[in-house]
Amino acid sequence: MNLPTLPDTLREQHSGKGWPLALVGSLLLLVSGLLSWSFDPSILGDISIAFWPASLQLFAMILGAVGVLLALMHRGPLHRLGDWFDTALGLRALGTGSLLFVVFSLVAIASEAGGLVNVNPGGWLALAGALLLTVGARFVPQRQLNSFAKAKANPVLEIVVIVLGMAAILFGAAYVLGRDDPWIFVGFLVMAAVAFMALARAGFFTWMSHVAQRHRHVLTLAAFVVAFLFPFTQDGSDANMSIATQVLIFAATAIGLNIVVGLAGLLDLGYIAFLGSGAYVGAMMSNAASATIGWKPPFIVVMLIGACVAATLGLIIGSPTLRVSGDYLAIVTLAFGEIFRLSMFNLDGNNGPDLTNGPNGIPGIPDLNLFGFDFGKPHTVFGIQLGRFSNYYFILLLLIGFIILVFTRLNNSRIGRGWVAIREDERAAEAMGVNTFGLKLLGFAVGAFLAGLAGTIKAHQDTAASPDQYIFLESAFLLAAVVLGGMGTVAGVLIGATILKLLPEKLRFFSEYRLLLFGLLLVIMMRVRPEGLIASKRRQLEFHEDDEELAQEVQADHLIDAAPEAAR
Amino acid sequence: MEIFLQQLVNGLTLGSLYALIAVGYTVVYGIVQLINFAHGEVFMIGAFGALATYLLLFQGQTALWILPIMIIGAMIASVGTAVLMERVAYRPLRNAPRLAPLITAIGISVFLQEFVRLFFDKVPGTDFPSAKAKIPFPQIDVVTGRAFHPMEGVTIQRAAIFTVAMLLLSAVGLWWFVNKTKLGRGMQAVSQDPDTARLMGINVDRIIVVAFAVGAALAAIAGVAQGLQITNVNFKMGFIAGLKAFTAAVLGGIGNIQGAVVGGLVLGLAEAFITQYTGMLPDPFGQFGGSSWKDVWAFALLIVILVFRPQGLLGAKVVDRA
Amino acid sequence: MTVIDTEVQDGRARPQRGAKVLDAEQVTMRFGGLVAVNKVDFDVHEGEIVGLIGPNGAGKTTFFNCLTGMYKPTSGTVKFYGEVLPPKPRAVVKAGMARTFQNIRLFGNMTALENVMVGRYCRTTSGAITSVLHGPKYRREEAESRSRAQELLDFVGLGKSSELLARNMPYGDQRRLEIARALATDPKLILLDEPTAGMNPLETQQAMDLIFKIRDQGLAVVVIEHDMRFIFQLCDRVLCLVRGEALVWGTPGEVQSDPRVVEAYIGGSELEDDEDEVQA
Ligand SMILES: Nc1ncnc2c1ncn2[C@@H]1O[C@H](COP(=O)(O)OP(=O)(O)OP(=O)(O)O)[C@@H](O)[C@H]1O
Ligand SMILES: [Mg+2]
Repeated sequence: MNLPTLPDTLREQHSGKGWPLALVGSLLLLVSGLLSWSFDPSILGDISIAFWPASLQLFAMILGAVGVLLALMHRGPLHRLGDWFDTALGLRALGTGSLLFVVFSLVAIASEAGGLVNVNPGGWLALAGALLLTVGARFVPQRQLNSFAKAKANPVLEIVVIVLGMAAILFGAAYVLGRDDPWIFVGFLVMAAVAFMALARAGFFTWMSHVAQRHRHVLTLAAFVVAFLFPFTQDGSDANMSIATQVLIFAATAIGLNIVVGLAGLLDLGYIAFLGSGAYVGAMMSNAASATIGWKPPFIVVMLIGACVAATLGLIIGSPTLRVSGDYLAIVTLAFGEIFRLSMFNLDGNNGPDLTNGPNGIPGIPDLNLFGFDFGKPHTVFGIQLGRFSNYYFILLLLIGFIILVFTRLNNSRIGRGWVAIREDERAAEAMGVNTFGLKLLGFAVGAFLAGLAGTIKAHQDTAASPDQYIFLESAFLLAAVVLGGMGTVAGVLIGATILKLLPEKLRFFSEYRLLLFGLLLVIMMRVRPEGLIASKRRQLEFHEDDEELAQEVQADHLIDAAPEAAR
Repeated sequence: MEIFLQQLVNGLTLGSLYALIAVGYTVVYGIVQLINFAHGEVFMIGAFGALATYLLLFQGQTALWILPIMIIGAMIASVGTAVLMERVAYRPLRNAPRLAPLITAIGISVFLQEFVRLFFDKVPGTDFPSAKAKIPFPQIDVVTGRAFHPMEGVTIQRAAIFTVAMLLLSAVGLWWFVNKTKLGRGMQAVSQDPDTARLMGINVDRIIVVAFAVGAALAAIAGVAQGLQITNVNFKMGFIAGLKAFTAAVLGGIGNIQGAVVGGLVLGLAEAFITQYTGMLPDPFGQFGGSSWKDVWAFALLIVILVFRPQGLLGAKVVDRA
Repeated sequence: MTVIDTEVQDGRARPQRGAKVLDAEQVTMRFGGLVAVNKVDFDVHEGEIVGLIGPNGAGKTTFFNCLTGMYKPTSGTVKFYGEVLPPKPRAVVKAGMARTFQNIRLFGNMTALENVMVGRYCRTTSGAITSVLHGPKYRREEAESRSRAQELLDFVGLGKSSELLARNMPYGDQRRLEIARALATDPKLILLDEPTAGMNPLETQQAMDLIFKIRDQGLAVVVIEHDMRFIFQLCDRVLCLVRGEALVWGTPGEVQSDPRVVEAYIGGSELEDDEDEVQA
């Protein structure tokens, strides 16, 4: 989103005019949402009525509001905040992004209603606003900034920001999942991405990471409350909840993988096998007609068995790390993953003992029933009906909470430090007494254990376990969630997993091209931002070993937490 | 005895195929220390290139002289793909952490498979069949058709002979290229010491492209051979073949061209014999033989090799400097 | 071997030599045809500072690697307090031998404090489960590691730099940080591979003071250096290696005056030669 930057002399000459232009542009964008954008009331959730903003109009207003906010922080009533946030960079990103968004909107109107003639003045006003903002922002000079490390904390404000942010996420998620129109869906994503970029450029998220450090517990709590409330926004409909549970399983597994890849620094291309072994254990010990094991212990026990089987496999798959590393290790894990799949495919009684029913898998797994709570039946809570998938959603939420806990606590512990040391310089770590092999094995085992847990639940939720669910491509997807989202962070993986699972579900029209785009995405990410969207600072440093500026910046912000409060 | 001879034939055929593909892994690795994970896809695209050439120019014919032209078509497709991917995806990552090229390779691999699957029947001006299902590969006089039976219980497919012959031919050609041409010698120089080679005025970028191209050309031949052997092609054929060929390259000592050929043959033979003789064990072990476990054994072999002999059969152990 | 008395040098009283800490006999390391270390005998006693000198490529670093388990010597034994240690760096550290590297090998993207805390790894035991549960043992150990690491940073004079990323620190500080990291493993013997390489005279002087301070804590020290003045001021005994062989082994005075040493250096490289890119 970066246009070539202006020559400094030009910018200095006109610096005075930039700010009013940007402000006016933002205001126009804000106002345009109140006007009609199109003659045709039948398209895009009706954007034809003035003073009744819908879909794209709302999004434009949000962008406008962000613009006004940034402009007033630069100069005007909020200018004190401008000492902390880089409003100029924020406005520039916002300008380019809004332009992109408005153009997208006009294209949407034109293609839905048949031509640009269907665009009403509101749409053109938005375009004008975005243009003004873009041009104006180019001339807004950057200000001298203070470092957030020196900022005085204002706990009340910070907590309010956290709560508001979380509420916005809940609201946004519920809203966007309710949209079936792909144009609106994509429009929302564009708007969210633009707003995100603008705030990120302005340094908002750097501030947030400081806030997060200070209020870790509040933040976690708020996030879980929001996640917990989500099913209640769905009016008992299972359509989105089904997607949501899939995202959760996927994310839970991906966070487990992030322990292996992001923390221990080992590449695992066969990770799906651990989810699979959990699922198969769950299936074989379930009450399904074709279950192959007669013993039916309570589900908690099955879960533990599934996880332990997976962890054992993890130890086996991890054992080559004693001798192999890097690319070879990746290939070894890939081979293990394939062996797992092929074995599940073969063990049908004709080719080896009958364990898995071969290619047909184990279908008809009944719903979970924990302590008399039947996961297959809808339940009514506070007058709101929650369907089958909501039930699974809640148990998965507990699971993912547990996985996140394991992830963060290990990361901040002696073990996490050992992993960093291994990533940095394995021989030196060994020479300092770090048990490198043991730690790498531990990474594999813990990751596998968590995936195994998720697998046992997945078997029931899918009502079947079959070999074709555990192909190499799924491992690649998991890895992509980690790589795309961000190595070594939970938030990154959550975002990566959501993008990778949600988009194909919501944008059916491109489902045919899903894999093609997926492949392309990996290639592009590696080129543009190899550390992922939200990478841990340390991982970012590792991917940019020669970027001295970044190193100074991270250090000045104290973002590598040498003193996790949790340890106190 | 027949069983042994039959497996020997099968193993050599399979091995020749692996060897042809393995060379691509090895030359590229020898020069840029990169495992071009997408090389299996280059092989697959070679097969589709040959098929496209046939459908475009010779539909319905079976004369032998078509074959060289199909091979050229295959090479154009493979080499083009390989060179393009080097230029666009790998070159910018040459100094990135090791993870980056590996993930890029996975991305390319998925992309190429999908590209062929989705767009093979959409090439303008043609009426190619959709690649979403297997597509029959053309039958060519002399190299396909009735198999030979040199003795009771032993079958030798014509395509198998073709494959082995192509390996021999390619090996000779490759030897000549590496030792007798300027480019080939440059390639050797770069793989031994890139910095010095650069100082000596060798254009390393160009050599890298050549390495990709040579590997791709051999993979294209393998693609044609595979098409003739199993009489069809599909967009997924590169994945497992690529993995096994990679194993072969490691087995022969990655970076070592002769090694790749030896490694391919050894792997092919090992796969054939293990599969056959495990199947002949008394139950319950015998159940783990046969074609359904074939790939499992190949992968198990891959793991064993990577773990216990990562320097390959011919290489010496390297001391890790501290 | 001559017993060294409590001779006064540099104004410091040398403490009486204690028990034998390290005893290497006939250590040999071959790389293919090259004999990098050839039948070297070596020993270190408690409270002693021993120097290791020799021209570039003499095999000093390789000898260190043999002592610390990074290499398994082709032949010969290394005993630590009378026991033969397995050639595993981790076991060696655990037993009480720590080292620094010739070309600094810090964990660049960790802070100084974290680097030193990694050194505490082998003296702490809390595993995955206690770490996840934040059990009492975990809390205690974590707090302990942290305070000990800070203490060591203060000890080497980096107390104020604890939050800096190692890769951002000046060269001299990085060398000191490596020493702090090694000290964090609670060693009885510390091996320093060219601790003053690339330092200016002031920093070199500080490094010398630091080494004396370490010795005064009761540790035995082995130092590789090319700076002869430094070595002769610092050490109680000096071993001169040339082409893998122990040429002279004695007091600084003996070594200094031995014509073979001078010859080896002139025949090899110059006396005070610092630029070396050889592996640590
Ligand atoms: N892992 C190895 N493999 C092969 N040769 C090695 C290895 N390590 C060291 N050598 C060789 O052993 C010899 C001794 O090297 P070493 O690094 O021990 O010398 P040094 O005395 O530390 O020199 P410097 O003063 O330059 O640091 C050198 O010729 C070196 O090339
Ligand atoms: Mg040295």
